[in-house]
Amino acid sequence: MGWTGDGEQGATMTRRAFLHGAAALTAAAAVGSVRLPPALAQPRVMTLDYYTLFHSGDAAAMERIVRAFNAAHQTVRLNLLQGQWAEYYAQLFAAVGAGNAPHIGICHTSRILDVWRALTPLDESRAGNLLDAAGIRGRDYTKTVWDAGVHQGRRYLVPLDSHMWGLWYNKDIFRRAGLDPDRPPETREEFERACEAIRTRANTLAFHPAEDALPRKIRRAWEILFWGQGGSLLTPDGRRAAFNEERGLRALDYLAGMIRRGWNQPGTDGFKQFAAGQLGMLLAGNWYLPTAKDSNVNFGFHYVPRFFDRPTTWGDSHNLVIPRQRPERTSNEMLVAAIRAIKWINEHSDIWGVYGGHIPAFVPAQRAKDLLESDSWKLALSKFTDMANRGYVHYPLIHERAPQVHSAIEPYVQEAYNGRLAPRDALARAEAEVNRVLSS
Amino acid sequence: MLRHPRLVSTAEIALFLLPFAAFWILFRLGPVLYGFYISLFRWDLLGEVTFIGLGNYATLARDPRFWNALRNTLGFAALAIPLIVGIGLLLALFVFGVRHSRAGRWLEAGFFFPYLLTVSVVGLIWRWMMDPDFGVLLIVLRSLGLGAPPFLNEPRWVIPALALTTAWWLAGYRMVLFRAALEDIPDELYEAARLDGASGARIFLSIVLPLLRPAVLFALVLTTISGFIVFGQVLIMTAGGPGRASEVLALYLYRYGFEFLQMGQAAAVGVVLFVIILGLTLLSFRWLGYESHL
Repeated sequence: MGWTGDGEQGATMTRRAFLHGAAALTAAAAVGSVRLPPALAQPRVMTLDYYTLFHSGDAAAMERIVRAFNAAHQTVRLNLLQGQWAEYYAQLFAAVGAGNAPHIGICHTSRILDVWRALTPLDESRAGNLLDAAGIRGRDYTKTVWDAGVHQGRRYLVPLDSHMWGLWYNKDIFRRAGLDPDRPPETREEFERACEAIRTRANTLAFHPAEDALPRKIRRAWEILFWGQGGSLLTPDGRRAAFNEERGLRALDYLAGMIRRGWNQPGTDGFKQFAAGQLGMLLAGNWYLPTAKDSNVNFGFHYVPRFFDRPTTWGDSHNLVIPRQRPERTSNEMLVAAIRAIKWINEHSDIWGVYGGHIPAFVPAQRAKDLLESDSWKLALSKFTDMANRGYVHYPLIHERAPQVHSAIEPYVQEAYNGRLAPRDALARAEAEVNRVLSS
Repeated sequence: MLRHPRLVSTAEIALFLLPFAAFWILFRLGPVLYGFYISLFRWDLLGEVTFIGLGNYATLARDPRFWNALRNTLGFAALAIPLIVGIGLLLALFVFGVRHSRAGRWLEAGFFFPYLLTVSVVGLIWRWMMDPDFGVLLIVLRSLGLGAPPFLNEPRWVIPALALTTAWWLAGYRMVLFRAALEDIPDELYEAARLDGASGARIFLSIVLPLLRPAVLFALVLTTISGFIVFGQVLIMTAGGPGRASEVLALYLYRYGFEFLQMGQAAAVGVVLFVIILGLTLLSFRWLGYESHL
């Protein structure tokens, strides 16, 4: 990638104009030195690779932003590649190791501790302070998200959004169950009453706590219940598991109780159940908005209820980053162009909110008229933003071995949820495996 | 200029082999050897590369998760390999029997069709079919009054369900292999056997099966490899669950390599898989009486 000559002016030139120009150049070359006429001079186009892990509705929203960027810029072009959620970080590491990293990438806030080595420190790059070069200022971003983008005193992340789980509910089922569709449950008591009413009076599935019930989603549902009591997965030094205690057990027992009480069945897909109009309430992320809108379900959206001591939800943030670049491939000029593109994307991240359903981290984008007047805002994003502002959002474990710790917990939490393992045994086994992972 | 006839012949052979050999060495042999090499190191793609000898293999030996994955893989292979080869053979016999009818050709194409699908499509189709709420398979079984457990969320059923899915996907190709081999059996042999009063079963056991041995060997080797490197359908349909009931070795490898970025340990799993598959392939040769071909 890098400098190319196939700019937009060249692309729109007619064949006749090209033939005339070519003939003129040939004639000029025949008689001596050539000076390119201004009308034929093409701007040099710098191509920057931009790889993301977005897919489905998110990918479509990011494509929209990149199309707008490319239309607005004559000399810089973003080459967008998306859709590898699962292998994204491995690919990023491999690309950085091979010296072929994209110029712009995405990183979750929760992955900063294991990904920072693959990233360019934006305030101490070889091209100087890139944040200053682009005019990126912390005060323009949601504070908590901005503050989380620093490691060992260096900034690696420029936040793009916040995303989190919330409570989606079916208003028609609420009516059938004799519940007020404009008053979704906020406390544990209200939530349990609603579940029982849906189960007995509406005679349908009451609640799904974990999107499509993949093991990592069930773990997130348990974490919401656990964090809501002030629990923490690991000890403060990050060397031992800390969840096998009363709060962890209470959370897992409550989660498994959702199946025992007949609010749903194990192994079912909450996304599909809700979209089919067979589910009263669903805990799911903001990315569910496009599907909910397309489903023809008369749905509402609300905060995650306060199940225990404090209202809590699972959440994370996508950030724009510049992966580590080799000077022979990426000049300082390209680094500056990349950070300016990052700033531009954030300045237009109201599109990200309207079409991707995420809360922009860039404060002016949060206040953009297009966003505030959009369906997405009215249907769900305003509530998501409230949850963020009220401090509901709890980041996942930020630890160098977070993926392995999560993977050690998930099967046991899933087995407890399925009713095949007693919650106490599940936590004991998960604890043993997490400690083995951390000590290896 | 080369004059010696043997020398010319060797050079010619080398030249003919070169286009294939170059790519085979670059993209097959090279990665295998490199995989073994990196299995001797601790390496996370970016950090320092540390030589640890057989440390990764020792870690595997101590890891209960690895042994669970090995058990699951063996369980899957034990079910899937005979299922795929057996169904492939039955389908081949069936389409060979109806080869002169127009319907026979359509049926043959239909049986082969699943093999044309990518693993992600196969995984998604069968995940839908086995969905506890909306799955056609479960709805049909229930309507027939049969028990329909949530196959993909039940530890006892998840491996058989994955094996069945894989058989649906891959049996069509084995059918084509056997079908081609059936064409090669001379009609005179059938006629002679019938004149001698041999029954259908006797003809199958004494004529068809022995003459299908080369095709059976090829299908077995191919299916053994497929059975032990099963990955895509597991990732899409169960992600290794419920719990770890369907976490197979290839998924274990993928997680250590691409989620935990422990490339050395992942490579060690690759080497273990390679040794298992090579061993079983050699056994297949021996079992079918082809040891002299080794």
